[in-house]
Amino acid sequence: MSLRYARTLAFVFLAAYAVAVTWPGMVPFNRIHPLILGLPFSMVWIAIWIVAGCLVLWMLHRVESTHRARRGLGDDGAD
Amino acid sequence: MERWHVVTAILAGYLALTLWIGLRAGRKRSASVQGYVAGDRDFGLLVMYFVTGATVFSAFAFLGGPGWAYSRGAASFYILAYGVLGIAPWYWIGPRAAAVGRREGYVTQAQLITGRFPSRTISVLFAVMSVAAFVPYVTLQMQGAGIVIEAVTDGHIPLWAGAALAYGIVVIYVLRGGVGAVGWTNTFQGIFMLIIAWTLGLYLPTRLYGGVGPMFEQIATQRPELLTVPGLAADGSPWSWGAYSSSILVSAIGISLWPHLFMKAFTARNDEILRRTVVLFPTFQLFLIPVFLIGFAGVLFQGGAPETPDFILPFMILETDLPAIVVGLFCAGALSASMSTGDALLHAAASVTVEDGIRPFRPMDDAAQRRVIQILVVVVGVIAYAFALDENSSLVVLLLTAYGIIAQFAPPVLATLYWRRATTPGVLAGLIAGSATSVFFLQNASLRPWDLHEGILGLLVHVPVLVAVSLATRPQDPTHVAGFVADDALHAVSESPHG
Repeated sequence: MSLRYARTLAFVFLAAYAVAVTWPGMVPFNRIHPLILGLPFSMVWIAIWIVAGCLVLWMLHRVESTHRARRGLGDDGAD
Repeated sequence: MERWHVVTAILAGYLALTLWIGLRAGRKRSASVQGYVAGDRDFGLLVMYFVTGATVFSAFAFLGGPGWAYSRGAASFYILAYGVLGIAPWYWIGPRAAAVGRREGYVTQAQLITGRFPSRTISVLFAVMSVAAFVPYVTLQMQGAGIVIEAVTDGHIPLWAGAALAYGIVVIYVLRGGVGAVGWTNTFQGIFMLIIAWTLGLYLPTRLYGGVGPMFEQIATQRPELLTVPGLAADGSPWSWGAYSSSILVSAIGISLWPHLFMKAFTARNDEILRRTVVLFPTFQLFLIPVFLIGFAGVLFQGGAPETPDFILPFMILETDLPAIVVGLFCAGALSASMSTGDALLHAAASVTVEDGIRPFRPMDDAAQRRVIQILVVVVGVIAYAFALDENSSLVVLLLTAYGIIAQFAPPVLATLYWRRATTPGVLAGLIAGSATSVFFLQNASLRPWDLHEGILGLLVHVPVLVAVSLATRPQDPTHVAGFVADDALHAVSESPHG
């Protein structure tokens, strides 16, 4: 995956995250049932985004690390 | 032997251990100011991770979080939501700030800003705003410690004495060890409180309701308004979406700009550690879930109610007749949450005051500076302690107010590192306009459009003013700007992977 692509994806994810956990993005998912692992769905919805955030950041880190290793630099790798 | 004797003994043991670790770690550090403030730029990944996590995961999360879950239900979910959003941009901003900081020898946030935008007024503004935000934050940590100690000792040690005891120890190890002690004690406390949080978060619902699912089914039947966002306001009426959403945004913007966290960028051994800390950070957010479960367990509890919602956690622990050893360990976990944040705050408040508020006007040598920082640690501690004795404020509200101030640091930081055309008058004007707006809406809460947080309203004024005034004033010298914005400047900074 190219660096530019990975950064765009990460950025889009963060924008989606911001909308999904606030008004109005949260509204359709703001419900008690179904309980998942015993937790109300509204809480699970936020937890899902946190877990997705972990994965996205981890993938971004892999791409950025590969890119940095190739350039042999400690900088932030921007073009 | 009475139950509270056992609890107090465990607590005393914990406090002694914390003090011992703090004093030991302090011994190896150099005596220079850079060593004292920035920990010789020598933190490894494990320490960085727990420093960041434990500092964020404070008495606010441990007591305020359950307090909100208990009294305001899903309103507390905002605390869950903002962390990832706030920390992610730090993946890029952190190493950038660190590279410039290493090159120029910066130890504070304002030094970075005024390096690019030379202005003693900006420096002093940063110092004043930082301390203004730190005092309520330290206050809530002290109240947290006092609440825990008062509750578990059955009131034998009142809030004022408990807070004084816990923070006496914090001040001693901060004075002895500087940031080194802060790092090592946070590692220890961080691990400790994670274990306690999960254990109690699963134990209480199981013991009282037969499981997490059955507990929420019962709440859904009797108090369904607690389980959907935006939950309830402090007076029990429904909270607004505007306030809920803007609380998430202001906290996300503010989280990485807290001076005590921002300064961590300057203490990291290398950029890789900073980046990994960011990647691992969201795991800390998930640890909030069991803490909230403890608060929800109190909602339908039949055995009475705590004197204020912030007492819910210790209240639940005591009402359920748990063995004294569990109560003692819980108490130590909550205390560690309070102390591990409080120490970093005290240390940062004092360092920032000296570096940004005094030194630009009155140069002093290393020894004098170190001495003044130590005096200020005590002064800030005493001021916060005076506020802590007033028990009328909710922990979460205290913190949200402080976040409104801190969020105003975002535009100057971004302008320093990313916007070539920004100018000193622009940054100064933005900072003043944004802070003034924020203070105005803090004082006149009823005038807020859509119930938005005053920090967000401040930013809505801050950013246009910064941009407009910058564009109306003369651009900065491109070679000066290149040291902060251009990538080639960062390329020039060589980085050893082994520090």
